[in-house]
Amino acid sequence: MRVLVGGLFFLLGASALRAQDSVIVIDPDAPPGDSAVVRGGPPPGVVAELIAFFNDSTTTRMAGDVSFPPGSAFQGKLAQYRGSLRVAGRVDGPIAVANGTLYLLPGAEVNGEILVVGGRLIRGAGARHDGPERVFWDAAPVIRLPGGTLALRERRRPLGELAAARTTFQTGKVRTTLFLATGGTYNRVEGLPIIFGPQFELRPTARTVARLDLRGILRTAGGGSGLTSDFGYTTRAELRLPTVGITGRMYSEVDPIEDQPLSASENGWSAFLLQRDYRDYFERIGGGGALWAEPWRPLRLELSLRRDHERSVHATDPWSLLRNSDRWRRNPLIDDGHYFTTGFQVDFDTRNRRDLPGTGWLFRAQFEHSTSDDISPVALPEQVRPAPSTGGGYAFDRLALDLRRYSRLTPSLRVNTRLKADGWVGGDRLPVQRRVSLGGPDLLPGYDFRGFTCAPRGFADASDPALCDRMIAAQVEVRTRLGLNLGYRLRDREGSPSGRFIGIEEADLVFLADAGKAWLAGSGPSQVPVNRIPSFDEWKVDVGVGLDAGEIGVYLAKGLSQGEPVRLLVRLQRRF
Amino acid sequence: MLPLAGLLRRRFTPQVRAAITGLLLALAPAEPARSQSPAAVQLQVRLAPDSAGSGARAPIVRSQHLLDDGRWLSALRSGLPVRLHYRVEVWRSREGWFDNFEREAAWDVVVHHEPLMDQYTLLTIVGARARERRYATLDALSAALEFAYRVNVQPARPGRYYFAAALQISTLSDSDLDELQRFLEGDVGDVAQGKERVGDALGRGATRLLLRLAGLPALRLEGRSESFTVR
Repeated sequence: MRVLVGGLFFLLGASALRAQDSVIVIDPDAPPGDSAVVRGGPPPGVVAELIAFFNDSTTTRMAGDVSFPPGSAFQGKLAQYRGSLRVAGRVDGPIAVANGTLYLLPGAEVNGEILVVGGRLIRGAGARHDGPERVFWDAAPVIRLPGGTLALRERRRPLGELAAARTTFQTGKVRTTLFLATGGTYNRVEGLPIIFGPQFELRPTARTVARLDLRGILRTAGGGSGLTSDFGYTTRAELRLPTVGITGRMYSEVDPIEDQPLSASENGWSAFLLQRDYRDYFERIGGGGALWAEPWRPLRLELSLRRDHERSVHATDPWSLLRNSDRWRRNPLIDDGHYFTTGFQVDFDTRNRRDLPGTGWLFRAQFEHSTSDDISPVALPEQVRPAPSTGGGYAFDRLALDLRRYSRLTPSLRVNTRLKADGWVGGDRLPVQRRVSLGGPDLLPGYDFRGFTCAPRGFADASDPALCDRMIAAQVEVRTRLGLNLGYRLRDREGSPSGRFIGIEEADLVFLADAGKAWLAGSGPSQVPVNRIPSFDEWKVDVGVGLDAGEIGVYLAKGLSQGEPVRLLVRLQRRF
Repeated sequence: MLPLAGLLRRRFTPQVRAAITGLLLALAPAEPARSQSPAAVQLQVRLAPDSAGSGARAPIVRSQHLLDDGRWLSALRSGLPVRLHYRVEVWRSREGWFDNFEREAAWDVVVHHEPLMDQYTLLTIVGARARERRYATLDALSAALEFAYRVNVQPARPGRYYFAAALQISTLSDSDLDELQRFLEGDVGDVAQGKERVGDALGRGATRLLLRLAGLPALRLEGRSESFTVR
């Protein structure tokens, strides 16, 4: 009965396979096929045979749990639906069981063919069977009609399609999805953005997808933000082939200036619960397109063009659970204007998982060249930036790098490292909405939020904007798994303490160290020459320790500069 | 402890003191990797026979007694799908230094109960492929959950190796199930690019956190094979 089956073969769903294959081969190097899901089950011919047998007028049909005790005798065709059929007596004739278990108990004697579909045949010592037997563990797709006969059951819709805020239907070759969802964050400019709209998808072949995504954005924060409208939108058209794709977008949306010191979701929770919004925002209205290619699996290249109208927006006063009476931090003004941007991005990603990687590399480089002919610059101190020319010809280059290595030293010990750099590389100095800073929970958790903004002494701005030209940060963390049992285990019905565990049973113990520097490039006072990275003794360093339970992590971090207190941080995801 | 307590009082705010104390308390009962009770769910890792003659072996991984633990059956009957995430790692032993991680393979088995049909659906997911099977009886489901998996990750280079396996058993929330469904429908674009899907970010983390803290069952088992030598 032991059958060895190739995993790929298994997944391809060869009809000859039977449910009781006891070894499945997993082949991680198997090439992807055309079909995502293969639905197994007993062969259709067997199901038809089962239905015919069950519905035969000469068959004795039973349902539920039935027993034939020792000494009993039955002659003829016997069919069972659901439950268990326990035979300890004599049966002369064939037996069919649909979605139930057949027990041949000691002393049982069966003379005839046995067919079990959707259950098991369990044979006790001393049971005797004379005749062929076929057993299929996979459930028989049958339903019992009021008259007692069996009929084939049509497949139900998948559970995922029943979600209330998202429904999908097929019209010809086009699959349409309607959805209503939050925008994935909460912030002091938009409040809770509500996103709604349809998505149309056409799959001419199994590996080619054409998609049109139309999304409206309803901003709930109310007036006062200076946004063009309480409604935004993003439209996206995409053609995706196996190794290349092209995308076009039009949008009116609110974007963050920096993607740190917290992720969008963590920042949303911080804003919603604590009225602390650690990001700054601007409005972007425009459109563009991108062409990407994946010449081989870990490598992705993307070339993009876009033209935006970028505008300043103001903080409003959305509700928060705690500290609701506090004032939100102001949102900084940006250099308004129309920007034409050419971008190039390289991704090399060998991580084993995207969400909680344990091994592999991630390298991401983004270069952008932007120009503007109508920039309206914010007045910044001369030390930060000479006033840009407003008559046209404003242009700058920016480069962002992110290199991560996830490695395992032993099965239980991991070391993760990251190097991140961002900033100006050429042309005119960066507009406010491309400037950078350091300090805060992500890159330098031992220092205060916006601890290093490059604002010169005497410069006062309640929005505390990021003003640096460049930043670089390195992070390292060592993780090992701990059994914690932080919580309480409920007793089960029998009273033994093996019921549910309320709390956190296991977590990663994390030791971390970070170092970073943000600076203004130039030859003036407090500036670093354009062609130089500050030496390491100029960097700020912190160390820390924490417990990361996956969905929540608690850390203590301390900057090594004099006078820095120990800081307590709560993260809702991995640091990197 | 007194000097430490004094240091805590002098240097840190009450909130930070409380956090440090909590952290120390948390570390106090720390125990090594979870041991496997013989009566509970078990993870076995053994070696397949050497078919190539070079000594290279493949791991055979098998979990046992999952449904003997009433928590999982209870979760299934409460409508919560149960996810078994298997991972097998190939490690190369090195004398006098950290062992070297060579590669890994991972796959998932998702089980859920469909009350209207009173059937159990078992979905085996390897990479971008999935196979769905349905079982009408607990007997059949239980037996199917005890299938052994032979993983084709035999090392080729000469050296001394072993396999480390981990099985993470957890319950899936509705949103996870929805995400899984979309993945199975081939909607992997944004995930592949590392982007959050609309509406997911704010709710997903909180849902998982609440599910976890609410005491829904979760279990992690680890096992290790014998060492073997590839010539």
